[in-house]
Order: sequence, then structure tokens, then C-alpha cells
Amino acid sequence: MTDPGQEESVSSDFVRSYVITGGRSLPSSDDLALHTLVTLAPERTPPLGAGPEVTAIWELCAGGYLSVAEVAGHLGLPVGVARLLLTDLSEQGHLLHRAEPPRAQNVDRATLEKVLHGLQSLIS
Amino acid sequence: MTSLIRDPLLWILLVVLIAAVFAVMRARRTNLALRRTRKDLETSLGQTQGQLAQQQAHITALNARHQGDLADVRADAESSTKAVLKSAMGTLQSLAEEQQLLLDELLKKYGNDTEVLADLMAVDHTGSQFSRRAKGISVLCGGWLGRRDGAATVYDVARSAQGRIKDFNRVGIHAQVSVSVSTKAVEPVAVVLAELLDNATTYSAPGTPVEVNIQAVPTGVCFIVDDAGLGMDQETKDRAAALLSPEGAVDITSLGDPPRFGFAVCGMLAARYGFAVSVGSVSPYGGVRAVIRVPESLLATEAPAPAEPVRETSDEEAAPQRLAPVPVGPSHVVGRTNGGLPKRRRRQGPISVVPSPDAPATADEPTPEQASEVTASRLGAFARSTQLGRITNTMEGPDQR
Repeated sequence: MTDPGQEESVSSDFVRSYVITGGRSLPSSDDLALHTLVTLAPERTPPLGAGPEVTAIWELCAGGYLSVAEVAGHLGLPVGVARLLLTDLSEQGHLLHRAEPPRAQNVDRATLEKVLHGLQSLIS
Repeated sequence: MTSLIRDPLLWILLVVLIAAVFAVMRARRTNLALRRTRKDLETSLGQTQGQLAQQQAHITALNARHQGDLADVRADAESSTKAVLKSAMGTLQSLAEEQQLLLDELLKKYGNDTEVLADLMAVDHTGSQFSRRAKGISVLCGGWLGRRDGAATVYDVARSAQGRIKDFNRVGIHAQVSVSVSTKAVEPVAVVLAELLDNATTYSAPGTPVEVNIQAVPTGVCFIVDDAGLGMDQETKDRAAALLSPEGAVDITSLGDPPRFGFAVCGMLAARYGFAVSVGSVSPYGGVRAVIRVPESLLATEAPAPAEPVRETSDEEAAPQRLAPVPVGPSHVVGRTNGGLPKRRRRQGPISVVPSPDAPATADEPTPEQASEVTASRLGAFARSTQLGRITNTMEGPDQR
């Protein structure tokens, strides 16, 4: 018989993600895109019986805007699962979200040089 | 005298007398012979009875030997079956674990694709059930179960168990305590709870709830599983009670066909790790109530590690880099909203360098007339874009700065 001390280590995620979602269907990525910024609405108390993940989101989002991708990363959850939890909180009015800031596009070299010259002339 | 001699009566009397004497003598001889025969017979009867007793003793001895041999052969067969199963299950367990690790990666990799994620979760669910079966058989055969790297809260143990059964949707978990189960007991308690939940969902009507209540008791923590099934009859209760408090190894060939491993697995693990499992009381819903009592010695004293992966960095670096409101150019803040957010004056020009589709292409090119406002908005856009770039970086790992 194998002693408990000789057990092999298992390191896969202990709580599987489909349990965290409760088997519910996942919201589409249109609702909260990867770069959508979320933060806690002011003067809110955590929902009763909030799971560890929701509590973690609560703590993460309390200090300012974080993107959906960042929240997922910090929770160690798939983005879709984090998005479901965020959607829940958002629907309950606990979260504020704003669209991702428009992605900066490559500015042509001439403009950058002009900015540089402008800065240099400001400094000197 | 002559008359006497001549008297026929006398002769008749004489003859009768002689005959009588003869008969008596003969009878006596017969009697003696019979006595001798009886004696002989009695002796031989004694001998036969002795032999019979010997034979019976011999038969008993042979029988005992036969039973002993049979038990040995059974034990041999059992142990070799167990050895084969143990090794086969070990391979399956390793594969299942490998698959789950792979799925952990894939779930994160394709996390943003809703459809792929949902499909991967379905695969993950079947994989978890498969892993639970393999672990159960392995445990009965004396194999390994797997050891988690850290303590886990009772709530997470219950959720992990929930994930290992088919109808996990029907299970509701209510944790009244927030203690943690110690590292070595995490996996066995989760496996046992999963077996009890599997029983509860299998033997109750589809759609009926199965509740897990986790409560603190003076001697530890109890996981209470209640279902709304039909309950168990006395025979099943007795069988369950016997399997839940096993005296020695469980005979895996006696678990029926198809084998019902559940209670046997619970009993083995409870005995091996030192917690208690009982079934047989009636749940408030009229079904079965099963209870796992985890003693204080198997509870972790310190708080569990946070759910997020521990990083080898300082707190400052590990802290999420939030996109704080960055003042853009000259301050345009003119007040605060009810929610405390800064109110800003509306800008005249676009603050982004991204050309709007309908904007003229020449908008990019600054004209000398557009003075400080344009410069400020460009600087603002620059700052914002670098901020955005940093966010993107933090997705892949700690900031490189």
C-alpha cells in the first residue's frame, strides 16, 4: 500500500473553471472586450455569498481601472470565465466599465521628429 | 414292575423327557453360539465406528486444508488483480493529470474565444470524471491518490469535488466556515466528497437539488451532503456501513457487476487518512444524508495561499498596474461627479492621433495656426499610448521596466 507520504504531486487547477461558471453559457466577447476597462462603482458592498473569485475581483478593481485581460490574468482564470464574473457584477451595478482606449496607430516619422524637436526646443 | 415297564405311558414320558433334555441342550448350544456371534459383532462394530471417526476426522482435515488453500488462491488472485489494476490505474491517473494540465493551459490560451472555451470546458468536465474513477479504483488497489501542493479552503474542496461528477449543476454549496483543509487531506477529502455527491445525484431524481453544507463542529469540520432521493433500504445501509468502516483491505471482486466502488473508496480513504464518513441518516428532503467529519488534526492552521499564482517578485511589481486617470496636458478638471470621478471640460480638438474615418487625411499634419492645444493633445495621446502599451505588457508577465 502506498503511504500518504509517497503520494505523487498533482498540480492541475484544483477548482475547474466550469465549476466557477456553474456550467452557465459564457457571454460573448462583444460585451466586455479584452481591453475594456473596469472599476468598482463607488460605495458598493460585495454581494452576499460572493465566491473567492468575486472577492478577488472586488479587491483588484477597487483601486482604479483594470482591463478585462488583466483581471483574468491576476485571477489566473481563462478570460471568458473572468468575463462572465465581471458581466454578473456589471449587471448588478457593482462595476463601471468604459470602452478600451483607442489603440494608438503608428505615427509617421516626420510627426515624431517634429514632436522631438518641439520638446527639445521646450527644454532648451 | 412289569406292568410298569409295559405301561406305554411310562415310555411316552421317557421319550418326552429325553426329547426335552435334548431340546434344552440344543437350545443352550444355540444360545452360546448366539452369544459368541453377538460378541464378535459388537467387537467389529466398535472397530468400524473407530474407523468411521478416523475417516470423519480425515475429511474435516481435508476440508480445512481445502478451505485454506482456496482462501490462499483467492487472496493471491485478489492481490495480483489489485497489482495489475494498481499499475494500470497509475498510468491512467498520470495521463488524466497530464490532460488536465494541458487543458489548464488551453483554457487560458483560448480563453477569449467563447465557443472554443465552452467546448474545452466540456472536455475538461469529462476528463475530471474520468480522473475520479481512475483514482477510486487506484485507491482500492492500494495505489496513489495524488497530493496537492497547498492547503485549500473547505469551499474550494467542495467545489473541486463538485467538478468531478456528472451532474455538477445540481449541487449547491453553502459554507458556514472558512477554514482550510491541510495539504495532505485536500485530495482525499475531495475524492470522498465527490463519491458521495455522485451517489447523491445518481440515486435522486434528475433536477432535484443536492446540497452540501459545511459546518464547524467542536471536533473539526463536517461536510454534510443532503439529497432528495428515495433513501436507502436497510440492506443497502448495512452494506454501506460495512464498507465505510472496513476491517482490512476491501475485496474488489465482491463489489458487484458493474462494481460499485463509491462507499468502498470512501471507507478506504477515511481509514487511511483518519477522517470519518457516515451515511444512513435521513436528509431534510427525505433522501440520504451523508456526512464527512474532518478532525481538527487534518485542518490547516494557517490561511491558505491566495488563489492567484505566487510570483517571485516584490509586492510592488506584483501589484496590478492600474490605469489611473492620467492628467492630459493642462488640467481640464472643472469639478467632480457624484461618484467622485473628475469632471473635465470638453476639448475642442481630437486628443487622439488616430484619425477618425471621416476626418480629412490632412488632419494629421499640424499647421502653425494650431498652437499649444494641439501640442498638448498630442503629448496626451503619446502618454496614453505608452500607458496602453504597458497594459499589454502586463498581460504577458511582469513589467519589463
